[in-house]
Amino acid sequence: MFITVTLSLLNGFLETLKLFSLTLLFALPLGLIISFGSMSKSPVIRLPIRFIIWVIRGTPLMLQLLVIFYGPGIFFGKNIWGSGTSGRFSAALVAFVINYACYFSEIFRGGIQSIPKGQYEAAAVLGLSKTQTFFRIILLQVVKRIVPPISNEVITLVKDTSLARVIAFYEIIWEGERFIKSAGIIWPLFYTGAFYLMFSGLLTLLFGYIEKKLDFFK
Amino acid sequence: MAILEVRDIKKSFGNIEVLKGISFDMEKGQAVSILGSSGSGKTTLLRCLNFLETPDNGKISVNGTILFDGDQQNLSDTELSKRRLHFGMVFQQFNLFPQYTALENVTLAPLLNDKSRNRQDIIDDGKLLLDKMGLSDRMGNYPHQLSGGQQQRVAIARALALKPDILCFDEPTSALDPELTGEVLKVIRELASQHTTMIIVTHEISFARNVSDEVIFMDGGVIVEKGSPEQVIDNPKSDRTRQFLSNVHSSK
Repeated sequence: MFITVTLSLLNGFLETLKLFSLTLLFALPLGLIISFGSMSKSPVIRLPIRFIIWVIRGTPLMLQLLVIFYGPGIFFGKNIWGSGTSGRFSAALVAFVINYACYFSEIFRGGIQSIPKGQYEAAAVLGLSKTQTFFRIILLQVVKRIVPPISNEVITLVKDTSLARVIAFYEIIWEGERFIKSAGIIWPLFYTGAFYLMFSGLLTLLFGYIEKKLDFFK
Repeated sequence: MAILEVRDIKKSFGNIEVLKGISFDMEKGQAVSILGSSGSGKTTLLRCLNFLETPDNGKISVNGTILFDGDQQNLSDTELSKRRLHFGMVFQQFNLFPQYTALENVTLAPLLNDKSRNRQDIIDDGKLLLDKMGLSDRMGNYPHQLSGGQQQRVAIARALALKPDILCFDEPTSALDPELTGEVLKVIRELASQHTTMIIVTHEISFARNVSDEVIFMDGGVIVEKGSPEQVIDNPKSDRTRQFLSNVHSSK
């Protein structure tokens, strides 16, 4: 039984990991773009972006999942996600990417705004272009400053993926819960915790390593 | 012919007029010191020359080429970068890039943008400059491993690496411990003796006296007095200059 449960949970955890890694892949760059928008001098760009960030950070992710999955069907009479597993996965991914991009954007904004003006001025008088200044001078300093808050968000994301089961995305908790009905046992549900723990342990080590790697400058 | 001609530079921040029409010339190979109390506009003037601020009015030419003319203010980024390179700038707070070593700080900009020299030339040149600054054993160190005086000397080498026509110093020793100002002033003095064209905004009166060919005293956004150090520092004509100098001396 233990082996059956483990294999089944592993299967669910693979889905969890898929959602987790694709969310990061898209939300990190999107977050950077949103952070530029939220710092824009033009209010036409800045204000709508700040509004979206406010809405996304101000409402539960679970609600956002439901709105994104059911919303198109209810409001436009068209279910854009299809009815299959892949449709539910896409809807979950879109909700997670939007939600996490907004959180990341605020971390990026904080990081970028914490870089002293003197760094930009020194780069300017040396004739560096704006692009060179950002990528050669600013970015790594920002990365160093935001590793701790980003690592926090990333570890939260591991656990937040479990919310996707409200739209019947078969992640690990869904798998664990199945055994209550099918076999009348509850321990597989508790056992899922071990998977989360192990994975967040790995991430903690990884982020510790990155922090150490960036310790060569202050 | 004058290497730098500045005509009627004006600059306001909101309602406050910081520069009320500054004009002066300087010759190649000269060192010019700008003295004045805080708020006199001397740092703003330096920042205008480096295009860190855009003057509201006036004209700046280097070697007879007009770099800034009150009418044309919307320069493209590339054009702005090109014009800035006539000037080098050393900041009060050094502003070294923390993630690069001393040598990398010096060579970064030429390696990125100077396609006329090859990589090895630029690196050798950077080493030579750091050597001149007395930092030959510090090239591989990161800024946080260096003292303030060493950091400022790296910053000077970094500015020199681009071979500017005019090197500007914005209170280069104001952020340093008194013990460390000497080593930076010594380097600037050596540059002066090699006839590097320099504009130095400073509070170090005695340093200004023995390093500069000309001294400018600014107050309230205008040039009050300009002349040789003997004239301006030892025999000031204006009451305001006298008052400033006596305040500085009595506080020592």
